[in-house]
Amino acid sequence: MRPITHPFARIGLHLFLWAVVLYSTLPFVWTTLNSFKTKRDANAATPQFVFEPTLEAYSAVLLKSASDNGILVGFGIFAVLATLVTIGLFAKRIPLSTKAIYWGIAAALALIVWFLPTIVDTAEFYDNFLNTIIIATGAVIISVAIGAPAGYALARYTGISGVVILLGALAFRSLPRLGYILPYFQVSQDIGLWDTYILVIIVLVAVNQPFTIWMLRAFFMTVPKEIEESAMVDGASRFAAFRKVVIPVVWPGIVATSLFTLLIVYHEFLLIRILTQQNKTLTVAMTQFLGGVSVPGSVPRQSAAAVVSVLPLIIVVLIFQKQFVKGIGAGAVKG
Amino acid sequence: MKRKTFLQFTAPSNIVMLVLLVFPLLYALWLGMNFMTFRTINEPVFVGLDNFKTILNDPAFWAALRWTLVIVVVAVSAHMIIGFVIALALDQVKGRMRAFYLAASLIPMIVVPLVGTIIFKQLFDPPGLFAWAYRSVTGNIFVFNATTMKQLILVHTIWIVTPWAIVLFFAGMQTIPQEQVDASSVDGANRWQQVRHVVIPHLRPLIILTALIAVMDMFRLFDNVFVLTRLNPVYASDTVLTYNFRTAMTVQRLGLGNAIAIILVITIVIALIPLLYVSYRDQIKDR
Repeated sequence: MRPITHPFARIGLHLFLWAVVLYSTLPFVWTTLNSFKTKRDANAATPQFVFEPTLEAYSAVLLKSASDNGILVGFGIFAVLATLVTIGLFAKRIPLSTKAIYWGIAAALALIVWFLPTIVDTAEFYDNFLNTIIIATGAVIISVAIGAPAGYALARYTGISGVVILLGALAFRSLPRLGYILPYFQVSQDIGLWDTYILVIIVLVAVNQPFTIWMLRAFFMTVPKEIEESAMVDGASRFAAFRKVVIPVVWPGIVATSLFTLLIVYHEFLLIRILTQQNKTLTVAMTQFLGGVSVPGSVPRQSAAAVVSVLPLIIVVLIFQKQFVKGIGAGAVKG
Repeated sequence: MKRKTFLQFTAPSNIVMLVLLVFPLLYALWLGMNFMTFRTINEPVFVGLDNFKTILNDPAFWAALRWTLVIVVVAVSAHMIIGFVIALALDQVKGRMRAFYLAASLIPMIVVPLVGTIIFKQLFDPPGLFAWAYRSVTGNIFVFNATTMKQLILVHTIWIVTPWAIVLFFAGMQTIPQEQVDASSVDGANRWQQVRHVVIPHLRPLIILTALIAVMDMFRLFDNVFVLTRLNPVYASDTVLTYNFRTAMTVQRLGLGNAIAIILVITIVIALIPLLYVSYRDQIKDR
């Protein structure tokens, strides 16, 4: 489009976009404010924008019993996280391999998350957080691992069975989850897999597989055939060429697909709710803060739980924002 | 690529989809012809097509279907128009600010739908921001009833899906060849004419695709209606899926619930035929 140049028009444009920002983030900002309020402030008749912030709600959601050194531990964890983020931001300036630093940060985070329950008396909601990490990681890795060769083959193969698989996948992508719930529930109870990580992971992989192969296929279509053909002339097998030559080229696409799979898995509510009891994820655990049919739940706790359950996802997506936006573009424009 | 290699490469993915998507659907079809509750889940009683008859004669089902169709029509068209306008505006900004605006407008789609609904509802609950603004402006208390609840569901649904349209259209606009824009400027086209004759024709395939995908996602609307209404029948806001959930989980007519799901599957597949046809043609053309 022809660029708008008139200064007043530009101001109007930015005002409009700020309105969009407000429209998109206001509910989240309001909830974040609520999460730092006392019950009294949160239920005040006039909305309170200035108030004395408190971590009450967070400790109620995350801790079984508020311990005396809770604030100290909280500050300690916050300091460690802040240090890790700072290192991450300046990783390129540190005279070490950037990759090693990122892996180090990831490992440190994993250790903190894993061993936190031994330091502080964490509540069930924290276990749900761990469940979410395990289930989401497992589902994303398996989805992409089995989806990548399929997406590659679908991008290269010219026979009619490729079309059949693609169209079938498209149809299955759009079917409601409720239709599957009963079969999954009944069979998993019969074979004793109900309420296990492995069942939830495999089910999530399956329901997302149609989406995954479509998106991966779109990325593999952008890779010219000559790349792997030259490797195969040099004597590599098709699979070796795929693994050693094609995958590195298409890696940003694989990251984007993983991100989308993560999003869908993290959002899943109905299937996980029916298939788990102990091992439920954060999204399912959120329902305990809903309150009854006519009684709303405690606002600060609801808000704190909402922030805790959404923040990890927002951070991950914002870190990979570029791949994310590109992924939507490629997946849709090509597919 | 040879057929054998193709089958080897796709085997893991195909096996997973066959075992966990195709077979369960067939099994679900069979369960839809049985009477069972959670207690009798292992001794279903075969009732043939009775479940399907019961549903098709239930006015609540038709009400739910009608309401779902209203959501589909309103939300799909509204989110595409809003998304298109925002994408046009984003296209006018460059650099850091563009990344910031884009990131902010993605938030509704990243936030878990269930949680997003909870935080959205907080604005409208008694101590919330909107409830307060409404009270200040009109002097009346904002109450949830069948009408306001339906409006809220529509607004929230649009809020959730708009980011998809923004990003899709924005990505599409980046692929418009600059020569076309320049040529139309030379011809003296104003901005509206450029949008009308350059941008929209270029985005047409994308617009159709977005609409179709949104239609099939809207049919599956569950999480936000579930949280907003808490399945309270007072609001008369059942979509097909919440009606399905109520029948299967609350009333415990599991077979009946499955029959509803099967009917919905058939409806969606029929609604999908244009999309399937378009992509079939594309796939064949590519070969």
